[in-house]
Amino acid sequence: MKTIEDINKRIKDGDAVVVTAAEMSQIVKENGAEQAANDIDVVTTGTFGAMCSSGAFLNFGHTDPPIKMTKTYLNGVEAYSGIAAVDTYIGATQPSRNPEIGIEYGGSHVIEDLIRGKDVELVADSYGTDCYPLTELKTHINIENLNDAVMVNPRNSYQNYAAAVNSTEETIHTYMGTLLPEMGNVSFSSAGGLSPLLNDPYFKTIGLGTKIFLCGAEGYVIGEGTQHNTEVQRKNGVPVNGAGTLMVKGDMKQMDPEYVRGATMPKYGSTLYVGIGIPIPILDSNIAQRTAISDEDITCQVMDYGIPKRSKPIVMETNYKELRSGSIEINGVEVETSPLSSYKKAVQISEELKNWIDNGDFMLSNPVKLLPSQGRSPRPLKIRRQTMLVNEIKSKPLITANPNDEIGDVAKRLVQNNVNHLPVVDVDQKLLGIVTSWDIANAVAKEKNRLKDVMTKKVVIAREDEPVDIIARRIDKHEISGLPIIDKNNHVKGMITAEDISRLMCVKNREEGI
Amino acid sequence: MKAWLYFSPKMVNKAVITDMIKNFDVSFNILRADINSQGGKMLIDITGKGAEDGISYIENEGIVVSRIKRVVKKDEDICIDCGACVSLCPVRAISLESDWTVEVNDKECIGCKLCTYSCPTKAIKVVE
Repeated sequence: MKTIEDINKRIKDGDAVVVTAAEMSQIVKENGAEQAANDIDVVTTGTFGAMCSSGAFLNFGHTDPPIKMTKTYLNGVEAYSGIAAVDTYIGATQPSRNPEIGIEYGGSHVIEDLIRGKDVELVADSYGTDCYPLTELKTHINIENLNDAVMVNPRNSYQNYAAAVNSTEETIHTYMGTLLPEMGNVSFSSAGGLSPLLNDPYFKTIGLGTKIFLCGAEGYVIGEGTQHNTEVQRKNGVPVNGAGTLMVKGDMKQMDPEYVRGATMPKYGSTLYVGIGIPIPILDSNIAQRTAISDEDITCQVMDYGIPKRSKPIVMETNYKELRSGSIEINGVEVETSPLSSYKKAVQISEELKNWIDNGDFMLSNPVKLLPSQGRSPRPLKIRRQTMLVNEIKSKPLITANPNDEIGDVAKRLVQNNVNHLPVVDVDQKLLGIVTSWDIANAVAKEKNRLKDVMTKKVVIAREDEPVDIIARRIDKHEISGLPIIDKNNHVKGMITAEDISRLMCVKNREEGI
Repeated sequence: MKAWLYFSPKMVNKAVITDMIKNFDVSFNILRADINSQGGKMLIDITGKGAEDGISYIENEGIVVSRIKRVVKKDEDICIDCGACVSLCPVRAISLESDWTVEVNDKECIGCKLCTYSCPTKAIKVVE
């Protein structure tokens, strides 16, 4: 058993033994985990992949006169500015507001340009306040002049990720790249045996406060990423799909453009290639054993992206050794594979981090709180049917009755117009009551002549701007079959009936293929 | 050697290509073709001892031959060596080397530009 303090002392003294995750697989195979835990202090990991859930907080500093920016655009890409006056968050996948540029230059490209030290155009709008009178500005910024440029990525470094194929007859364009028809190619995206979270699959060492390599600079894990999932199927101790994620933070001013890149997946959107390396302290033999994982031990599910559903069908299971060989066999056919993340850069990152530690430039940190290793599984978002308003329903032309109408005339009107309800109105089209065919039958039975003697005076109504869902519930609640539609001035505009609503449901179901 | 062959309308019905294959020691592969009664063009890959003589023959018969001097180039500064292009190449002109560097083989390339189009960092360019 070692502690991080023990390891840091050895790093300081130049005695620490640091190896990459690729080297560790061999060491454990040859010497066993017990011996490896004694011999090795730190295993370095690395990954360099497209990580859409990335972005950066920028603080521009205050102008004179001051401005409280409500909309900001960086090289034409909108950044979120609902945070104080001169702070903004530029997200990697935000496209250019210029439709001719769109996804070809997005937030990720702005981030890369800033890190490269390029000038970036800033356009900002405001509504103006007593303390922030300026309402617009246009200038250029450079990372050097920014008070803060902090990369904060809500979800990076997926523990594992399904490979993608396309079973349809057309080429499709996805965040997994271009997928050729009829399973013409396979796209996968993981550093496999080098990947940070696959080398600590139960999060025994990584957590809030773990110091890491982030885009060529020192960064930190600031907790589990969004959609962090612990309730997953495992093989050889590692998840066979997505699973754990990281939220990370780092100072962009220290970053190296070699290890971060703005990119665009054709017809999908912009994304940021992020380089992450995490040092795993070898505190015991169990941790040593986990870092020995290699490509062939890591299962990867191949999913059909031709089916645009949340749960895509699993075509087969393979592993990263097979995927990295250049082709895999699907249903008896050799299909070529493409990595979407750069294994070359992942190797570079694990080696660079190793060098930092070897040179005593990078000490390990004790996490304040380890990543959750159980009880976390993201739930899907259920969408309600798109709400439709009463006045959007196609209804029959308005036919009304007068309180002094004769029962016989009203009966004729119901039959002629093929309706069961008539709103009873005054000369100003204001609602006085309602009459149904049942009321008319009742009147005949009781030998009443005037409508006002049989109409219902207490009427349940529908407002024009109410959602139809609410009306359906009202019909059910009051055990009625139709409601007059009333506008703002209490004028009758029409009728909405249970029939109208059931017809609407039929149309919607047909559109949704139910 | 790769070349575009251009056919004028009066050439379309002549069996020049067949004659060339019969009479010269060539191996002949059609990579792309777009020909109708109005003429058209065909991208071919021709190899073998008789390739040069064969080309001269069809040129004499009236087919306009335009040898490809296309260059497929990878910008080393931009390329991140991910490999997204590798499985898209229809002629396997792109490969990952033992150190996981993406290598583009200029000689194999037929200029379909699928790699250019699909490259996340726009690192591959085909220049004619």
